[in-house]
Amino acid sequence: MATFAPPRPGPMTPGARPPAAARREAWQRRLPLTPALLFMIFVTQIPFVFTVIFSFQSWNLVRPGSQHWVGLGNYANVFTDSAFRGALFTEIEMTVLAVAISMVLGIGLAVLLDRKFPGRGIVRTLLIAPFLVMPTVAGLLWKTTMLDPVYGIVNYLLRLVGVAPVDFVSRFPMASIVTVLVWQWTPFMMLIVLAGLQSQSGEVLEAARVDGAGPWTTFRAITVPHLRPYIELGGLLGAIYLVNTFDVIFMTTQGGPGTATTNLPYYLYQRAFLGFDVGQASALGVVTVIGTIAVASVALRMLFTVFSTTEGRA
Amino acid sequence: MAEVRYEQASRIYPGTPPVMAVDRLDLAIADGEFLVLVGPSGSGKTTALRMLAGLEEIDSGRISIGDRDVTHAPPKERDIAMVFQSYALYPHMTVAQNMGFALNLRGVSKETIAEKVTEAARLLDLDKYLDRKPKALSGGQRQRVAMGRAIVREPSVFLMDEPLSNLDAKLRVETRANIAALQARLGTTTVYVTHDQVEAMTMGHRVAVLKDGVLQQCDTPRTLYERPANAFVAGFIGSPAMNLHTVPVSENGAQLGELTLPLPRATTANLTEVTLGIRPETLRLVGPEEAGFKLAVELVEELGADAYLHGRAHLGDSDQRFVLRVDGRTPPTIGQTVNAGLRDTGEIHLFHPGTGERLD
Repeated sequence: MATFAPPRPGPMTPGARPPAAARREAWQRRLPLTPALLFMIFVTQIPFVFTVIFSFQSWNLVRPGSQHWVGLGNYANVFTDSAFRGALFTEIEMTVLAVAISMVLGIGLAVLLDRKFPGRGIVRTLLIAPFLVMPTVAGLLWKTTMLDPVYGIVNYLLRLVGVAPVDFVSRFPMASIVTVLVWQWTPFMMLIVLAGLQSQSGEVLEAARVDGAGPWTTFRAITVPHLRPYIELGGLLGAIYLVNTFDVIFMTTQGGPGTATTNLPYYLYQRAFLGFDVGQASALGVVTVIGTIAVASVALRMLFTVFSTTEGRA
Repeated sequence: MAEVRYEQASRIYPGTPPVMAVDRLDLAIADGEFLVLVGPSGSGKTTALRMLAGLEEIDSGRISIGDRDVTHAPPKERDIAMVFQSYALYPHMTVAQNMGFALNLRGVSKETIAEKVTEAARLLDLDKYLDRKPKALSGGQRQRVAMGRAIVREPSVFLMDEPLSNLDAKLRVETRANIAALQARLGTTTVYVTHDQVEAMTMGHRVAVLKDGVLQQCDTPRTLYERPANAFVAGFIGSPAMNLHTVPVSENGAQLGELTLPLPRATTANLTEVTLGIRPETLRLVGPEEAGFKLAVELVEELGADAYLHGRAHLGDSDQRFVLRVDGRTPPTIGQTVNAGLRDTGEIHLFHPGTGERLD
């Protein structure tokens, strides 16, 4: 019976198992994870591989039989496509505006919520509510009940002060979209900044008062530097989500009027599912993914330095 | 340089029922004096300090610094500097910026600030750390930065709120001496809050003992130790604490076991009982033939030079605990029964058994 191996000579660390057994144990540990891994590969990586394959073909679903290889032709088109560049700039404008405005408002609300007043719990819950609404619903709500020129609340209020009704969504499309996004994301910024404010030591603020700083100086010289990592964190996370804005645009402006509010995700959608230009849309998608990965990895690296310095500052 | 005066100053925390955190405090602190506020937690000592700092409202009475009434003045108009328990350093500023912050706000020129900061840093042995952030400093260094921040302002009053409580024991003793020396050198009026009676005794010119927001006694450390105004002060000042026991009064005096302590008749008239206060060093071990009371040894704390003996004596119809100081070289062992006597009957303190007031 050769069930156990004789002690092997050689540089083996005491207690180390033979490699075969170790490998088997490692696999036993990984086994329960494999279904999840296979599922992940199946739903994300295989479609991506198909996308890459399609991106080298000219293929329009409207014209059956048009499918043929074009090499890098679709990619050349992406970089000469002015609509793509337009969508990219719209995207940047939309994200930067939404993040910046919601951050400023979020800081203001957080400072208000940081002081004690009766009913603070209810006010906080109400302020968080927009963040819990689905983006699709938020878009629909703003387009109809708030901004509609005929029965919208905003126009009703404007009429009360004698202003003629305005069709906000078509007159100020970018402002309308940004308003919805800010409405949704201000609570998020507020929560993160509030966490920062509440982690600030009260004695530090008192020390500043004794040192002769007024409320504004204290906020500028002591509180804002303390909040910096929290503001960076909120801004980065917000930007990561807002770059992918699709639902709100789809529900309110449909990217228009013209291409006024067409950002990259929406432009992609238009090319793939309205133009049925599978090859061109795939190339667009691949370029967008590569760009997103590049930006996201820089952002994530920044995020981790934020975390490590926050730890150090505590 | 200024004197500080509390006149019937009170602070009431709202609630049901409202709490008198500081109850009609009357205290006059002379120019250049080092006054220590001491008391157990919840005694209102920190609140009293924060009232002087302007961080806590004054509900009645008044507080003046120098000849200025500052009862309702904001902190920045009081010309005070405060050292906080947690040091409260500004985390994003370097040591130099921390120390210069107040001067910066006052619009002092950069050169003057740099000069004063360097001077204070030299005084506190911080010159090497001026460019560091607080997180890169040790606890003792942070404490010194907090001191430096107070010093560079050259205020008329220093306020210190338990500045040593976050240091380890050895550093605390060192820093204690440094702060006292620094204060003597600068001659700035200082109000210092602590719960540690050793700090209070070693640092203060005078010590004010508070309990439940009420001032119990304010005097020099020596007087507090030798003539405590009531049983609370007697028990609070001194380590280990004074033995306080209420014993019956007979014709001949107070009865402590077989030991009869003659009492001045005038002070104990009309009393059937009296509270005796006996310091651990007033008690001593005596031979079996001498007058004393029996003590069963429960614990011996050896401190090197001395040892503290914790024992239980059967007095009247109950067991009472006593602590006495004995020679550290030959302490009795646990379980032994020893005979305890007095070094000098004149060192005994007498307090009223009901009110706790001193009886002579």
